[in-house]
Amino acid sequence: MPASKQAYPFRWRVMDAVENMASALWPSRFSRGLPYLMLLPAVLLVLLLVIGMIQIAESSAHTLDRSTFLPSEDHTWANYSQIFSTGLYWTVLWRSLLGSAIVTALCLVFAFPYSYLMVRTSSPLLRKFLLIALFLPFFIGQVVRAYGWLIILGNQGVANGLLGLVGIEPVRLLYNYPAVLFGLVQYMLPFAVLMLAPALTAIPEELESAANSLGASWWRTFTHIVLPLAKPGLVGAGLVVLTLSLTDFAMPAILGGGSQDFIANAIYDQFFRTSDQGMGAALTLILVGIGSLAVGLVFTLFGAGTLAMGRDRK
Amino acid sequence: MNAPLSKTIVIWVMVGMVLIVLSAPTIVVLGASFTSGNIIAFPPDGFSLQWYAKIAMAADLRDAFMRSLAVATICTLIAIPIGTLAGIALSKYAIRFEKTFQIYLLLPFTIPLIGSGIGLMLLFGQMGMLGQIWPIGVACCVINLPFMIWAVSASAGSLDPDLELAAANCGAPPISTFLHVTLPAVMPGVISGSLLMFILALNEFLVSLLLTDARTVTLPVQIYNSIRSIITPDLAAISVVFIACAALAITLLDRLVGLDIFLKSK
Amino acid sequence: MTKTTSILALTRRRFLGGAAALSGLAATGWTGKAFAQEPEKPAEIIVRAWGGSWVAALQAGVSDPFTAATGIAVRHDLTEDNEIQPKVWAAVAQGRVPPIHINWDTTTNATKSALRGVTEDLSDLPNLANTTELAKPVGLEGYPIVNTYGYVYVLAYRPSAFPDGAPTSLQVLLDPKFKGRIALYNDGIGFHFPAQVAGGGSLEDIPGNMEPAWEFIRKVKAQEPLLGEDPDFTTWFQNGEIDLAVTISTNAREAMKNGIDLAWTVPEEGSKFETDGLWIPKGLPANELYWAKQYINFALTLEAQQVWLDGLGLPGVVPGVTPPEGLAGDPSYPTEPADFERLIRIPTAVQVEHESDWFGEFKAIMQG
Repeated sequence: MPASKQAYPFRWRVMDAVENMASALWPSRFSRGLPYLMLLPAVLLVLLLVIGMIQIAESSAHTLDRSTFLPSEDHTWANYSQIFSTGLYWTVLWRSLLGSAIVTALCLVFAFPYSYLMVRTSSPLLRKFLLIALFLPFFIGQVVRAYGWLIILGNQGVANGLLGLVGIEPVRLLYNYPAVLFGLVQYMLPFAVLMLAPALTAIPEELESAANSLGASWWRTFTHIVLPLAKPGLVGAGLVVLTLSLTDFAMPAILGGGSQDFIANAIYDQFFRTSDQGMGAALTLILVGIGSLAVGLVFTLFGAGTLAMGRDRK
Repeated sequence: MNAPLSKTIVIWVMVGMVLIVLSAPTIVVLGASFTSGNIIAFPPDGFSLQWYAKIAMAADLRDAFMRSLAVATICTLIAIPIGTLAGIALSKYAIRFEKTFQIYLLLPFTIPLIGSGIGLMLLFGQMGMLGQIWPIGVACCVINLPFMIWAVSASAGSLDPDLELAAANCGAPPISTFLHVTLPAVMPGVISGSLLMFILALNEFLVSLLLTDARTVTLPVQIYNSIRSIITPDLAAISVVFIACAALAITLLDRLVGLDIFLKSK
Repeated sequence: MTKTTSILALTRRRFLGGAAALSGLAATGWTGKAFAQEPEKPAEIIVRAWGGSWVAALQAGVSDPFTAATGIAVRHDLTEDNEIQPKVWAAVAQGRVPPIHINWDTTTNATKSALRGVTEDLSDLPNLANTTELAKPVGLEGYPIVNTYGYVYVLAYRPSAFPDGAPTSLQVLLDPKFKGRIALYNDGIGFHFPAQVAGGGSLEDIPGNMEPAWEFIRKVKAQEPLLGEDPDFTTWFQNGEIDLAVTISTNAREAMKNGIDLAWTVPEEGSKFETDGLWIPKGLPANELYWAKQYINFALTLEAQQVWLDGLGLPGVVPGVTPPEGLAGDPSYPTEPADFERLIRIPTAVQVEHESDWFGEFKAIMQG
């Protein structure tokens, strides 16, 4: 058969050219370095964050000069010493830590049955329904959902209306600590479920029926079989919820009525209410430190759980 | 296999509570947007589409929405190549310092959002990049990158390495293998990851609050500013637009990939 | 065919002739207005404003007429004044175009920006000539800002909760009957000074010794007040969440427009008097700066002030503005020197230097 030009498709020519270019740029001698090349863009992108952190550290060393409203020229620890000596910041810190712990516990408790049902149910319709019910709020965003709760929990909202049916006077349901915690829980639930689900999928259903056939009640099966095997999921979910709720801004701002500031709100205040960039930067650095410490602790104790990316060398 | 009644009750009660808590704001906002009165209320005062008419005419809301779309698009376009490569690299290859890379790439999660936002604000400010739309897209990509990598590596983890060896055995050069074997296999992860990135960037609030100003404001920030200022139901109407986008994204996700992908174990 | 060609030719010729005529006119600088050589108009002007009734009043009184007269659209940015401040400062420091053209700001905040050197000088506005003394900022060179009206942080209350008549003293905030039903600004603005008097201190001690103020505020904290911004007060009154608030009368008026029965008074401790103004950040392109100045100039005309301040219910800086119905002689509408006797005015310089500390102290008390 005559080798005509038509026989060799254009696409193949392009691919040949591309392959030649690639092997010229990255010869097979370097093939061991290929994964590092693939990781490079991501590393560079995250480098932006690292540089940002360095900027914050630099900024935190300057105080605000009240006569010119410009940051001071010299470097000083004054911001940090002021933070540690002001009661307000300890209050805010404690409030945030306690709040995030409570929110994490509540989320894990309520996310577990939801994930369990979603994973174990034999009806694909129910599974799809639960998934949609989960993703819809997840995709709607914090602000809109907080806004919805403002309407529901307000003095003349649905919740107080229902209480009124039973004869209870309108209760102040908003602008307090429980309201903020509630807002955080409802926001974090989808995250928790998404982190738990893969772990629950990995538990073979036969294990539970085996335990059942050996005479264990469903509660014992749950505590002795399901819960321990779901540990990676619990760790991943707990980690995500803990860090996200510790550093949340929108819920305390919208549902808190100005008196329930979390650390992120205090930081925002410093930047945008008193225009003291140095103080805000110092607070941010402290928050980053606390957050990383918590995450590092969990990582070393429990591993990354379902949050891990890449191969699980268990 | 019959589950004991007590177990079913406990599970269903808790699931019911979660369902109510998750869906209540959506339903309320939807309902309140149809009110014919002037004050936000649920159940709504009569039925009217006046607020939708109002927001259709509001040029600033439309502009903000367009900007949000632009930001989300830029974010997704950047995230797809970077996240895909990183996700594949992490799951298929043996890398030295693997744990370090993992921790490094999880930085956007471990650094609190406000910290990332302010860091980027200072950095972009120094570089003179504020006041434009595309840096916001980059910022959204950076802070949500772990989601993309996570989605891709979940898909890539289930890819049988023998397939690529087989392709090489048949004579396929490396890039062809990548395009014809690896990529299609991780496609579900790429699609779900990019939809996730798109929606997250569309809804990104805190970082946008820090990086935008009146000339570049995106829709979530516009809504937030309005919540604190105007108390009319047009906010509910605009929120319904978000709900519609979310519903669209979910349908797309389901059609293309199937929502079940998020349940798969790793 | 020829007919069509000739019509076409005629039209084309006519068109070319017309274009030549227009360009000739344009060369002479005729733009259809009485001004000569006006700079190019921008597509829009961005004015930062407080939301709700505040921006509505500005729109009716200044923005819409300005757009009608010049054709330039006006967009209102509702970012809070405190939050736009660092963004404007950062833009000027980084040599970028600032995010807004005009900032409608409190005089104290605007003074901070003026001290930092980020404001344009407005002394050349023609309409400044027919403004009262109130328009000139105290303690600053020239006119880096133009004050546009004054207001009072009154004690607003729901008459149905006070069958025995209006409250006369701030001590009413400590009445257990009103626990959880009082509201203040979330940084305590407008409240620090009357609280000083209510706590047994004197105004002369400001800023040296504010302990009486903090003492009183600590007692108020036990009453679980709601803390928010301007629109929150309106919402809370409308939704029946509060009976008492120390706020600007404008916010109470807005709730009254929606049918809620409210009233206000200046308690015996006094109320703080403050002014708001307009200023332009540095860094705008020359043509946009020109039109921004035109906007402020327009805001100082009698017609603009009348409509704008009718919406706000506040006294202006142009003589001849008539008060809205029912507000002549009202404590929230001081015009004569006698009206100012029970109002507290602290020098701007003192406020600028210490305001952040007072905000911080107030927040610390309220958070703890």
